[in-house]
Amino acid sequence: MTNSIAEMEESACLFVIGSNTTECHPLIATRVLRAREKGAALVVADPRRIHLGLYADVAVQHRLGTDIALLNGMMYHILVNNWHDAAYIRARTEGFQEFSESVLAYTPERVEALTGVPAGAVEEMARLYAKSKPASILYAMGITQHTTGVDNVKAVCNLALLCGNVGVRGGGVNPLRGQNNVQGACDMGGLPNVLPGYQPVTDAEVRGRFAEAWGVPIPPQPGLTITEMAQAMMDGKLKALYVIGENPRLSDPDWNHLRHAMKRLEFLVVQDIFLSETAQVADVVLAAASCAEKDGTFTNSERRCLRIRQAVEPVGESLPDWRIFCLLSQAMGVPMDYNGPHEIMDEIASLAPKLYGGIRYDRLGIDGIQWPCPAPDHPGTPFLHKDRFSRGLGKFHAVEHRDPAELPSAETPFQLTTGRMFAHYHTGTMTRISQRLDAEQREGYVEIHPEDARELGIREGELVRVSSRRGEMEAPARLTRRVRRGTIFVPIHFGESPANILTSAEAFDPLAKIPEFKVSAVAVSKALQ
Amino acid sequence: MDYKLVPSVCPYCGTGCGILYKVLNDRITGVLPLKSHPVNEGKLCIKGWNAHAYVHHPLRLKAPLLKTEGRFHKVSWDRAIRTTADRLGDIREKHGPDAIGVLVSAKITNEENFLAQKFARTALGTNNIDHCARL
Amino acid sequence: MRKTVQQWLEEGIVDLFLGYRAVEGHPIPWVFRKDALHELEAFREGPYRYPLEKLAVEILREDPRVRLGLLARSCTERAVTVLQALHALDRERLILLQEPCCPSPLHRGVVCSSLAGPENGSQKRRDGIPRGRPLEELETWEADERFSRWMHELEKCLKCYGCRDVCPVCFCDQCTLQDPELFETGSLPAEAPHFHLVRAVHMAGRCVDCGLCEEACPVDIPLRTLYRKVGALVRDLYGYVPGHEPVPLLWGPLGDGELERLVAGERSREMVWEAVRRCSG
Repeated sequence: MTNSIAEMEESACLFVIGSNTTECHPLIATRVLRAREKGAALVVADPRRIHLGLYADVAVQHRLGTDIALLNGMMYHILVNNWHDAAYIRARTEGFQEFSESVLAYTPERVEALTGVPAGAVEEMARLYAKSKPASILYAMGITQHTTGVDNVKAVCNLALLCGNVGVRGGGVNPLRGQNNVQGACDMGGLPNVLPGYQPVTDAEVRGRFAEAWGVPIPPQPGLTITEMAQAMMDGKLKALYVIGENPRLSDPDWNHLRHAMKRLEFLVVQDIFLSETAQVADVVLAAASCAEKDGTFTNSERRCLRIRQAVEPVGESLPDWRIFCLLSQAMGVPMDYNGPHEIMDEIASLAPKLYGGIRYDRLGIDGIQWPCPAPDHPGTPFLHKDRFSRGLGKFHAVEHRDPAELPSAETPFQLTTGRMFAHYHTGTMTRISQRLDAEQREGYVEIHPEDARELGIREGELVRVSSRRGEMEAPARLTRRVRRGTIFVPIHFGESPANILTSAEAFDPLAKIPEFKVSAVAVSKALQ
Repeated sequence: MDYKLVPSVCPYCGTGCGILYKVLNDRITGVLPLKSHPVNEGKLCIKGWNAHAYVHHPLRLKAPLLKTEGRFHKVSWDRAIRTTADRLGDIREKHGPDAIGVLVSAKITNEENFLAQKFARTALGTNNIDHCARL
Repeated sequence: MRKTVQQWLEEGIVDLFLGYRAVEGHPIPWVFRKDALHELEAFREGPYRYPLEKLAVEILREDPRVRLGLLARSCTERAVTVLQALHALDRERLILLQEPCCPSPLHRGVVCSSLAGPENGSQKRRDGIPRGRPLEELETWEADERFSRWMHELEKCLKCYGCRDVCPVCFCDQCTLQDPELFETGSLPAEAPHFHLVRAVHMAGRCVDCGLCEEACPVDIPLRTLYRKVGALVRDLYGYVPGHEPVPLLWGPLGDGELERLVAGERSREMVWEAVRRCSG
């Protein structure tokens, strides 16, 4: 997030796209609803009719995979009505000319045809966003889990730049992170192309500094992403996989593909707190302590580095993950030893100084600090890009609508979209064993429009079979007008009706390699008893 | 009797709500929202209120496991670490470091993610590191 | 107050004392003990409010011998009285250190000035139920408008169950709110208005107006107003104000069928009291 969670209450307009905020980020929805009750405008765009839409000035349900068309459509109205912030564009951005030419091709008629949203509603969305300042954009996986994920994000950024909303309090481009430490995992270099602090592995100077600190040369070539690793396993090139606190057998696209790929591994080691679906097929399982059993830090969506504290002893003989890494590294002949997580943070601060340089345990307290925090006396940064962007000027990118990888066909006439529901989390390993959460939702389900259900002879609660080119699953039907006709929704939490047996491992964004979980083509029928 | 409230952060989504674990004799009995926390100001969602439920669950892994002839057996840490290091070392020897991949986690701490990628890049010698930020 | 706590612990008047301690600048409920008196240096008094009664119940239940001192505001006292009436805690082993918490002359169970929530924004004033307003003022609206305003509030519900989980006087193992026969599970918002009305009915004769539910609500539903309404109905019908005296709740001993007949006016107030007296024997 460029801006902070609490700041949203000061926004004059909140534009929520591809985020089911009340279910997936409820305490951020708190701020959105508060801002709304203070009189801010609320604009909601989501292919499903989400809860937050009840409180919106305008809530639209655009077709799956038409975010760019919708956003460009909004920007068309902003340009032709002269609602953009010309002074900001002049002072702080570049690439406006080429961008505006591309946007002007998104005429109201074309956008309505692509998105299914009436032209008047698109204009009203544009007016509310452009005429209320500061305006904040919130998005989540509904924007990113597409073959056009990177372009979707660029379109969101274009909109914010166009109205001068980046680098201002209460504004910004605010992706909501789905897992407690996704932000931190990225910050710490848990990516194939960057070292901690987003420093590229391809930069010799960067590699030199890390090699000096660690006493070992750093490999210069970027590694494989998770999606590419699955392919490399299939091709027999990747022989061993070390999976830490993840359940890719359930969370990754095309379950069957990954299951076959994992069978080809010579060695699989899984480190987790439960014997997850992935751990069950491992050769070695390393028992990790949970986050209530150790010290450390998480970095939340608003870049706030927050301390977690040990509440109880690790269960059984389990060990905190950091201790396991030290043991393994030593066993492989590379010394790794720390007296505690605070010492590791000191090393992080020294190697990623621009973001974490001033972060030390003795100053984090309970409130934490928002990076960038480059020095011990730096107070942290509530919002980014105040006077300049990290690259100098903010760049407009002309982006075009492209169809999702899979469109409905005669064999697979329905569109499937996947996501979370409010009582469960990710693959459900942590939430489904809670009695109270389980009581709220015990099993998977398929959301289907009542008219579609009627045509297929499916009644509420009856078992539905959903199949794609990759596999099939069954779950009870939930008849609801929350989904458009021709679209179904399946939550991702339930291993016995795995949404990702249906999704494609081949359809992903070429740059970010993010799978297109939000759109697949499927066939739907009543299951045979 | 030992009873304490320990400030921490919710383990679920990326909002980062402040919680207090209620700890009675080394067991977490519940969660309260941390009222003066800058993120959630004393409020939580249903997952946050139940953020402790998995911690003492009987299905938690309590020791390292090694699979022999298709079945898991509990082993000592020493054996588990030695086996893992040997197997990874053999594969690196035979097929090169890039025949190994590491999936780090959005659930473990910053310090642990830092060490995980340090381990991959130094002890293993590969940049094949990713996590589920995309999923 | 810190001196009193120290004295109580040193003299063995209590074994443990539950109050607040500053942890890195944040007041957090803390169990002070004789063998760690230095922790009293960070003892805190102030407008903090966590459900200490709930923690006290847990502590007293865990150790059947322990004598517990408890920092108690007026609302804590009322909650303790209700819990005593429900046999949820052993009052004999609980010693209250009263904190004159509220500077407002209205503090006798009416308004608590120390719990400041967000201001009522313009849209909330227009479409919702502004918080902290007297019931009479809200009842000047026509029924239709009142309904739509309450629906604006109740349809925000995220089903966190925080109102229940934080409530000092809520402790059932099986909660009606999670009965799948009564309520649809697995989708948002909670079914409005009955989800909240059912909880309100359960609060009748029980709610001590501490305001913790409203503070815990992630979507600023004016729950306190709702429960004050049922509180006022119980007071007007039966002259019963929870927390004032440790008498059992009205219909706890009577059963649900009796409650329905009561509401339908089949029994007089005197008969109810007679029943209560008999049950509490």
